[in-house]
Amino acid sequence: MDIPSFADLNLGVTLPAVFLALGTTVLLLIDAFLPKERRHLTAWFALAGVLVSFVLTLFNFGSSETALAGMFVADSFTGFMNLVALTAAAITILLSIDYLKRTGNARGEFYSLLLLSTAGAMFMASANDLIVVFVALELLSIPLYIMAAFRLNNAKSEESGMKYFILGAFSSAFLVYGSALIYGATGTTNLQEILASIGGIVEAGSSAIFYLVIGAALIVVGLGFKVAVVPFHMWTPDVYEGAPTPVTAFMSVGAKIGGFAALLRVLVTALPFLVAGQTVEPVWQNTIMIVAALTLIVGNFVAISQSNIKRMLAYSSIAHAGYIMMAVAAAANPFTADFAARSALIYLLAYTFTNLGAFAIALAIEKDDGSGTDIKDFVGLARSKPVLAAAMAVFMFSLTGIPLTAGFTGKWFVFQATMQAGLVPLAVIGVLTSVVSAFYYVRIIVNMYLSDGEGDEAAGATPLVNWAVYISFAGTLLLGVFPILATNLTETVTLLASVAP
Amino acid sequence: MVIGGITPEAFAFGLFTILTLGGALGVALNRNLVRGAVWLIVSLFGMAGLFVLLSAPFLAAVQVLVYIGAIGILITFAVMLTRSMTNLRERFTNQWWMSAIVAGLFFLFLLLGVVAPVWGSLSPDQAPAIVGTTEQLGVSFVDGNQFVLPFEVVSLLLTAAIIGAIVIARHQEEEE
Repeated sequence: MDIPSFADLNLGVTLPAVFLALGTTVLLLIDAFLPKERRHLTAWFALAGVLVSFVLTLFNFGSSETALAGMFVADSFTGFMNLVALTAAAITILLSIDYLKRTGNARGEFYSLLLLSTAGAMFMASANDLIVVFVALELLSIPLYIMAAFRLNNAKSEESGMKYFILGAFSSAFLVYGSALIYGATGTTNLQEILASIGGIVEAGSSAIFYLVIGAALIVVGLGFKVAVVPFHMWTPDVYEGAPTPVTAFMSVGAKIGGFAALLRVLVTALPFLVAGQTVEPVWQNTIMIVAALTLIVGNFVAISQSNIKRMLAYSSIAHAGYIMMAVAAAANPFTADFAARSALIYLLAYTFTNLGAFAIALAIEKDDGSGTDIKDFVGLARSKPVLAAAMAVFMFSLTGIPLTAGFTGKWFVFQATMQAGLVPLAVIGVLTSVVSAFYYVRIIVNMYLSDGEGDEAAGATPLVNWAVYISFAGTLLLGVFPILATNLTETVTLLASVAP
Repeated sequence: MVIGGITPEAFAFGLFTILTLGGALGVALNRNLVRGAVWLIVSLFGMAGLFVLLSAPFLAAVQVLVYIGAIGILITFAVMLTRSMTNLRERFTNQWWMSAIVAGLFFLFLLLGVVAPVWGSLSPDQAPAIVGTTEQLGVSFVDGNQFVLPFEVVSLLLTAAIIGAIVIARHQEEEE
């Protein structure tokens, strides 16, 4: 047997994710041994861990190596996804500290679970093997199920956790089944080896191609549940509404980071040449296109009729999954794959800042018992809390995709990728549904600025929550005004090992 | 060592077969669901013994851990939670013969597969000698060239699940 030396394992490049995972286990112990009056420090230790991991990611950025016998890949795609996931985790910690305290749920385990989930997203972004994709997805999801049910004695929160758990477990089974079929057809779970063996299978026209097609379809179903695309979106509004607001905020971003990272890796790195006949595009492109179009239409139209901000943002998050799905569809074309992957990354970063910001404002006006999150609770906010209202207006503009906000940058890149891949109808649907989305986003701005009424005093807007708002606000504007910040970081993103001849 | 013409293997095979089939009969014929669950565990234990005889010790251990340890207990819990069913002694519905036909057909199908070489030849020399499957599995979990990353991630996953169980179960107690 071939015994690897320590250097072969290349552990250095796995450090950001491994540090966070190890740090979390230490955090559990810290929380257990801290005296009761110092328990509030746990959150700050968690934040410190996130920051260290962020710095480690920056140090590793731009490398393109595999580690642990090809199971782990560290390239700029991984690095960028890590940065997005860690940013989301840091903002969520800031949102959680006071929220958990005022709703009577301040328990240190929350931060360990949050960091474990973040580590799961990071492992998913660096997974180079179907087995790692699966276990990392579970590491991402299981803490989310628990955090969704974190609110004590609250039937809605418990329902949310239970629903998410049952549907999540169900969807994981699809993913495993799909992976097993692909393993059966190719004899390997490593993404590069799958890529290598697919050419022969397609050329020989052997029946194994059916296993590959069904396997790819099942993987799309499994990951589609996690990122909440239509028709696998039914759980989203209930779960988002019932879960504690910081958890909803993290869930809306973290699950998408992990899910889309895995979807792009599996489809673009392993299955780009799964073609039928003489086409360039793989067979999964049509499916992804239809899913993207349905997601855009259903998400944006159903959001109009929502009266609760958390439910509205849930449908809005479905709609945004549709825009990222457009990028995945564009990534099917081997010539535009890298640009499409880049656009998905930029979109995710833009969405992270904007959406976390929007949830931060929703959290600020929420009452301690979880009520007060109706759209009409925003009435008059511009008078009582002008700064928060202004920030919320910018977040809403960004979600719509108005220029000079991050949302515009993201949409611009995604639409450009879609056009380059020649998917004009999809791009048209994307633009039209963006116009529709303006309707429900702008309604909040109208409520805040133009409707008469006494403004909410925004009891939840503690200094820490304000900081989270400022950070999201800065990110949203910076990315909108200087898109070069994100494009520079994603310049070297390549998912395809070799472009088709 | 042969006692009275019966090798120890044959004796063990007979014993485990009786456990498996007897347990299965107990599940099918018992009207009390809790007793049915206990009989199911007996049957599954017999299966684990058969796995040992087929030189698959790892499968046998997994059978005990997963099926008896986890699934058997899960079924018992489920029966106990739906308490009204614990003392169910009513007759089965009239549709029992439909299940009987389906089960019988399935049995014939399996029997055909075992006796006739439908799924490839069944010559006895294909049976492998005992291989260190458990050992290989253990090594591949901690070998840097194989599955160390998924293994470690799964261990984190279990940690998360245990924390979750505690966090959710403590709800009631902290209320006071």
